[in-house]
Amino acid sequence: MNWKLLLKTSALAGVMALSSHANAQITLNVATAGDQNMVDYIKDYLGPMFEKANPGVKVVAVGTGPGDSGSQKIFEKLSAQQSGSSPSDFDVIVVHQKMAGQMAQDKLLLPYRSKIDTGKLVSRESAENALGANVSGFVMPMFHSQTAIAYNPDLVKDVPNSYAELVEWAKKNPKKFGYNGIKGGMSGVAFVTGWVYAFGGDGDKLMKGPYDAATKAAWDKSLADLKAFNANVVITPGNAGTLDMLNRGEIAMGPVWVDMFYSWMNEGKLPPNMKLKLVAPGMPGQPMYYAVPAKSAQQQMAEKFIAMATSPDVQAEGIVKRFNWYPGIDAQYLQGKLAPADWQKLFADITPADLSQKGKPFPITPYFNDILEGYEKKVAN
Amino acid sequence: MNIGRSLVLRPFIMTRSSYRHGLFLIAPALTLVCALFVVPFGVSFLSSLTDKSGQWTLANFMRAGELYSTDIAFTIAIVVASTALIALVSIIIAGTLTLSETRWLVTLLASLYRWPLFIPFIVAAQCMRTFLAKNGLMNNSFIALGLTDPMSTASYLDWRGIIITFVWKQAPFVTLLLAGAMASLDRSTIEAGRNLGASKPRILLELVLPQVKPTLIVGLVLSFVTMMSVLSVPMMVAGSQPTMLTVDMAFRINSYGDYGTANALGVISYLICGVAAWLYLRHQTREAPR
Repeated sequence: MNWKLLLKTSALAGVMALSSHANAQITLNVATAGDQNMVDYIKDYLGPMFEKANPGVKVVAVGTGPGDSGSQKIFEKLSAQQSGSSPSDFDVIVVHQKMAGQMAQDKLLLPYRSKIDTGKLVSRESAENALGANVSGFVMPMFHSQTAIAYNPDLVKDVPNSYAELVEWAKKNPKKFGYNGIKGGMSGVAFVTGWVYAFGGDGDKLMKGPYDAATKAAWDKSLADLKAFNANVVITPGNAGTLDMLNRGEIAMGPVWVDMFYSWMNEGKLPPNMKLKLVAPGMPGQPMYYAVPAKSAQQQMAEKFIAMATSPDVQAEGIVKRFNWYPGIDAQYLQGKLAPADWQKLFADITPADLSQKGKPFPITPYFNDILEGYEKKVAN
Repeated sequence: MNIGRSLVLRPFIMTRSSYRHGLFLIAPALTLVCALFVVPFGVSFLSSLTDKSGQWTLANFMRAGELYSTDIAFTIAIVVASTALIALVSIIIAGTLTLSETRWLVTLLASLYRWPLFIPFIVAAQCMRTFLAKNGLMNNSFIALGLTDPMSTASYLDWRGIIITFVWKQAPFVTLLLAGAMASLDRSTIEAGRNLGASKPRILLELVLPQVKPTLIVGLVLSFVTMMSVLSVPMMVAGSQPTMLTVDMAFRINSYGDYGTANALGVISYLICGVAAWLYLRHQTREAPR
């Protein structure tokens, strides 16, 4: 008898647990482009924190895949739902620069930045301008990520300070520099973009526009030089491939994402003595943006969610300490929120001054596409 | 295997009715080829010849040639070399399984050779990444065995890595078909060869192999087509310059949403596969009236 009672009670408890779960009045759907770490960040860190602070709200995280193609999927979905009468499937989206510009132009986004307190804490240019498109008011940078050259100080004594010195170094040390081309992830794309900024003429024009289709003709020499440079280097399989080869000592230097570099080091997948260098004239980095679809059914809750995610506490603990990204809001508001060691770690090799001088944006979209295509035509083939 | 067997068991009474019988046997395969090859081919062929507004154009093919001519040559070289090596490896293993009298060797080989069949390409690629690297397991083993020294090791994570992975993964498949066909041969021909004093390699090459040749070719053509379609191995094992067409297609779609050029590359790889299929068919029709 007792067994039956126990069984009934536990079944009842189970049903109640389930139904209370299903009874959460509000579901906040958060769609994020990017790698699995982005989904994990929302599912395991932000989501539970927001649910705890707002009882009755359930946060559902959806990943749409890495790179611009992940943002492309979100764009396609919102674009398809624009004309219908029902609300959009997503309430908060996390997207790359290229698509954010397109979405703002197509009026798929809600202007919300001025409505939240943390909106004032943003100082970066990328909060206003995404690869040439005006996104002011529509987005909040979630974090900023930067590429840099990682090197092994045991193997590299004369660390190059600029692209030009790097070319000389690669000549003297054949097959000791490695990058992943442009098909294996963005760290290689960033390296190539930095190359065109350095040797292709007017870098500022590529970042700020206006677009002139004739500009790319001026890159022929620099792309031919890059082809010659490639003969002295190793082409690695992917962002992770570069880090793998650095770890095994097969290459001594290569471009990496700073956040990946530190995460790998924390996990013991890179030797702790490895260092980073941001070479002149600079290498690109990019933010990811929080945005709210214009047709979200939960606009207020979405704004609240983003306000929490961009608060100095969360930016310090989640973005900087746990995931090794640079903060999306101005770094001065994070002072005192982090242990000095955590702060120092992020700026040990690349100082804030380096970052502001040599941390560049990617070029505006049409130049970006020209660079990639020029590389395929004149360097890879 | 059935195709091979029907041709092998009655090589001298091949008639019109057994030709129809053969057609019946390949009917399921033919249906699959139609559904999975001919129809998609038609769709991507049309898309590769039209621009975004639906106008006819050759621009997609021009761009494919302009950007990826090296990769096209690279793909053909990799797949042809891999197919040749697969043939070699599978003939050696299947031949050993059929002709060797060393029982333990046959047992060991029979239990080992199928393993890669159960491993997906992507897992194989991931294993090879750590196995073939400059300071990877293979080179470290060589160093431990005193075969080489740490300074002179080289990374195999380039075209060689792709070929090694392909051969490792596909040779068991062809071996499986080939060993089956060899096992169902009439052993009296082998015994006759032995009685006349032929060596084992000679029995393999001159008696066994000609009888199982159709099966071998079926296996090789299937492997060829499979290798043409693998994305994970070139992406994970080797760098992207040069790379195989699958990687380029994925790149066109993911980075630009450019389905036109991707489809043009797809049509080019269909054509490469088509040449392999044509060689096979020509071989079959020459074989049939015998």
